[in-house]
Amino acid sequence: MTAVEEAVDHLRSELGKKIVECKILTPRRAYVLTKSGYHRDAISSLLVNSDQAGISAITGTDLGSEIELNYHIRCRGAIVTIKSTVPKESPQIMTITDLIPGAAFYEREVFDLLGVVFQGHPNLKKLVLPDDWPEGSYPLRKDWDAKEIEETTPNSGGQPAITNPLQTDGADSSVINVVMGPQHPALHEPERFSFKVDGELVLDVEPRLGYVHRGIEKAAERLMFFQDVYLVERICGICNAAHATCFSEAVESIGDIAIPSRAKYLRTVVHELNRIHSHLLLLGVAGYELGYEPLFQYAWRDREPVLDVIELITGNRIMTDYIIIGGVRRDLRPSIHDKIKSTMKKLKKQMKFYRNVFEEDPTVRLRTKEVGILKPSRAKELAVVGPVARGSGISMDTRREDAYAAYDEIPFDVITYKDCDSWARLMVRVEEIVESTEIINYALDHLPSGPYRVKVPRRQPEGEAVSCVEAPRGELLHYVKSDGSAYPYRVKVRTPTLANIISFRDIVRGSYIADIPAVLISLDPCFSCTDRMTFIDTGNARKWRWSLGDIRRLKTRS
Amino acid sequence: MPIDLGFFLRVLVFPGFIFLLALSLFCDWFERKLRARMQNRMGPSYAGPMGLLQPIADYVKLLTKEDIVPVQATRLLFTAAPVFALSLLVFTFCYIPIDGSNIILNSCFEGDLILVLVLITIAEFTVFLSGWASTNPYSGIGATRVLTQFLGYDIPLIVFALGPAFLSGSLSITTIAQKQAIPFIVLTPWTFILLVITLQAELGKDPFDIPHAETEIVAGYLTEFSGRRLAFIEIAKDVQVVLGAALVTVLFLGGPYGPVLFGPSALWYTFWFIVKMLAVIFLLEYVGSVAARLRIDQVVRANWRLMIPISLLSLALTIICAPLLSPLVG
Repeated sequence: MTAVEEAVDHLRSELGKKIVECKILTPRRAYVLTKSGYHRDAISSLLVNSDQAGISAITGTDLGSEIELNYHIRCRGAIVTIKSTVPKESPQIMTITDLIPGAAFYEREVFDLLGVVFQGHPNLKKLVLPDDWPEGSYPLRKDWDAKEIEETTPNSGGQPAITNPLQTDGADSSVINVVMGPQHPALHEPERFSFKVDGELVLDVEPRLGYVHRGIEKAAERLMFFQDVYLVERICGICNAAHATCFSEAVESIGDIAIPSRAKYLRTVVHELNRIHSHLLLLGVAGYELGYEPLFQYAWRDREPVLDVIELITGNRIMTDYIIIGGVRRDLRPSIHDKIKSTMKKLKKQMKFYRNVFEEDPTVRLRTKEVGILKPSRAKELAVVGPVARGSGISMDTRREDAYAAYDEIPFDVITYKDCDSWARLMVRVEEIVESTEIINYALDHLPSGPYRVKVPRRQPEGEAVSCVEAPRGELLHYVKSDGSAYPYRVKVRTPTLANIISFRDIVRGSYIADIPAVLISLDPCFSCTDRMTFIDTGNARKWRWSLGDIRRLKTRS
Repeated sequence: MPIDLGFFLRVLVFPGFIFLLALSLFCDWFERKLRARMQNRMGPSYAGPMGLLQPIADYVKLLTKEDIVPVQATRLLFTAAPVFALSLLVFTFCYIPIDGSNIILNSCFEGDLILVLVLITIAEFTVFLSGWASTNPYSGIGATRVLTQFLGYDIPLIVFALGPAFLSGSLSITTIAQKQAIPFIVLTPWTFILLVITLQAELGKDPFDIPHAETEIVAGYLTEFSGRRLAFIEIAKDVQVVLGAALVTVLFLGGPYGPVLFGPSALWYTFWFIVKMLAVIFLLEYVGSVAARLRIDQVVRANWRLMIPISLLSLALTIICAPLLSPLVG
């Protein structure tokens, strides 16, 4: 019996008649519709059943008269989606943050974009939309129109909605409020953290996301499936291959499209090259954050040959646009096999040097060891993913548990470190680069012959699919719902950073100011992935808005 | 009183103000080029031959930039601190024999080593003031870090500097330099190494660039400075590096004194001085390149638990060895 059948059986026996409908669509995906109000019972019984279970995402979908909430629960490689509906007039549902604290940001996102009120949520505030976004305007609802916000005046009281906090908490207080971001040298993308510090000690932090929210989920509904592949790639430049693979696999699952195995291997190769250059970039940035500039320069130098290889295969250095629905865009010429392999060999040798630096260098150890501790139990509660979870000793890897592309045929190790600190999270990445070079070598040696793509119709049948891949930063989830046309009805993206950033508050509290960059970088946050629309600068009087039409026009131009 | 042209030339041109500025700019270039090459980069390459004029270009650019004073800043302090820091450091050079004698001839006296160390301390304090006057959280934290770090390493710096004084039996910098027929680096290498590390902290270089750790607190105490004021601070930092290297040179490497092959001795002395100084700068950059930035608490702990006991031990060792080594000093 597969994991998903087991989970569904368990749910049936536990909940009985509270379940309205059960569907097992693929061997690792199940969709369970519960009677309203009983989603909590289903989720808690799944969480109790398996200690590896966690929440992957919450998707809200506007079905017209009601809003459907999909709780994507991962349990042992399978994704069980618990569905529950709420009426659109009074969208209220009980929170699940008491069952699993890691759902806090997901619920806030749904609240923000669809207006579902989660009763009992400890901090139900805006997550991605600007603070002066008009009340009652929920962009992901189907009846929402961009004109709605163009016509309404944002909360005007003369006071900008986001202000800097006072420098101190009071005349006698030694607590200083330090704001990091939206623009700050330690952040490579606009994001804002408001720290309370006492001397050099960090007492608390409040993150604010949403500065680069681009409305991609909404925009995706207005493009055809095959166009959306290029759109989702632009969610994040660094892990574009992960997004494209994830979206394509979701659509292929809906349309029941079998892709040729050569395409599977080629996807794997590009996906792993993607991981290598992302990790190298991160290691370099980590060096910079730690004030170790040579490490930064060296890592980025060694990243260049990897980008050259990606260019050889796909024609582009970063934005590969290589993966399409039904396969890959172009074939791999046999003449470049040697070039790829020699690059991998050199890189593997070079990784010995980096491992040495991280393991031996006393100053690096001083700065990263015992810093930003995330205990395994807490990591599970917060449902963190990827290298952050693996750095806390949790062996989870979508490539192994929920194999996609060609990962079920390629042997590889899942790297875990038990140290639970920033150092462990960085070391996981160092080792993963070596592992990726092995995967690429294996894939090239066992590359099947045959076609590299199949023709896919523009229209897809009605259906829904959840697809997960292991992006460089962790598990990436796409949920695609089709209504039988050439356009998706709903596209939901849950990026690994949204899953991981929730742990930042936990691990930075009580550490020193100097540790903030070291801790933050060990999560490898990518905010452009996490935010996806609308440009409103609330810091001063300047405000501008881009309608979705503008975004589309810009997109077609570029 | 007749105007002494030679005196003015010495103070203003060589080896005085203009020479010092040129030397500082050259050392700035040298540092940047070294750091770049150690990091596998090109470094300055466009302005002038091998990018030699890059520092000048940078300062000219800074001078043309808008000069902003934050509304809440203490204006007087904010303006005075950069100028004060630069003039203090330049003044300190009066007691360093660059071409074999002091800038103002015969201005050296028994005890000028102490004066120089005091001036360096005050210059460091003006840096703290400049950050404090900006009233910006980053500057505030940066300034606090300057002071915290400085409390730790200033004492070891002074103790290490006293080693050569004991060896040569003099507190005059010129005398100490003259008495090094065998440079003190050979006699007491341990003090030299420790002094270089302490100097690294004094100059705020990696792994001690905590007061202006850009990924944590933007530019630290410099955050609010721009235009002319920033130019002043930057050039003061350059002069500070030269001064630090010069101090090590005179205390441990025999100062400007070296073989005179032909022609005027002043020229050769200047040459040797610059060569030795560049060697020290190379060492400083090398140490900076192989280490990550430490945390302020780690630095303070290391200073009080390690550096201060070690510095006292090293001084004791030097005092014990001094009678044995005295035949070699001269």
